Amino acid sequence: MKSFFLNIDIFLCLLIFCCLYRALRGPTVFDRMIAVGAIGTKTLIILVLIGFIFGRVDMFIDISIVYALLNFLGTLAAAKYFEGKGEF
Amino acid sequence: MLTRVYDNLIVQTVCRVMIPFIQIYALYVIAHGHYSPGGGFQGGVILTAALALIFLAYGQEPAARRMNRRQASMLCAAGVAIYAGIGLYCLLAGGNFLDYSMLAPLLHVSVPRARSLGILGVEVGVGLAVMTAMYSIILDIAGNHEDESDSDPESCSTPKPGSIS
Repeated sequence: MKSFFLNIDIFLCLLIFCCLYRALRGPTVFDRMIAVGAIGTKTLIILVLIGFIFGRVDMFIDISIVYALLNFLGTLAAAKYFEGKGEF
Repeated sequence: MLTRVYDNLIVQTVCRVMIPFIQIYALYVIAHGHYSPGGGFQGGVILTAALALIFLAYGQEPAARRMNRRQASMLCAAGVAIYAGIGLYCLLAGGNFLDYSMLAPLLHVSVPRARSLGILGVEVGVGLAVMTAMYSIILDIAGNHEDESDSDPESCSTPKPGSIS
């Protein structure tokens, strides 16, 4: 089971690199924001799966919940800022 | 007119559902600092995130109604006072500073449990201080400073010339 989770982790890391392309090349800033949000979601899943691999899943779920909250809050704060300042 | 009411509806509804759970999770993080990742500082920052969600979704007025600058400063001092007070009591009771075994005769518990309760007490103090300090930082950076009429003493009774809005 551990090697299955490890393969899923590696595949998700490759998908994160695909999202990084959009984060770097996005013509507007909203492309970059959505890409960072998607990277955050993948990081969440990778954290929980690493928790399964190490055997201590309860600790890694705490960290993932905090990271989900920070992801949500960051997107909201950036959107509020760009609503006030206009589009770049 | 309708767009002003409805432009934040989704964000406000989601925040209204999420904020109590975020605060309960922050208290969990503060209380389980000795066993899982967490502690006073991390739980305090998550509590600040809950207040900052009110600030982002509803604006500055509802957030300031729940906690304005003066209340934040007083609660910050109260958090530091809890920490220093526990340490000072341990010092006055005959031990070292923050020697929690001196709390055992006060609380009528055994010495290991007194140490555990002492650490929990200082974590609560640290969480309170961190939450209010970071909330003050958020208000200073992102808020509009129209409610600072008591910054200098001679302008308390006269209104400032440009602040009618």
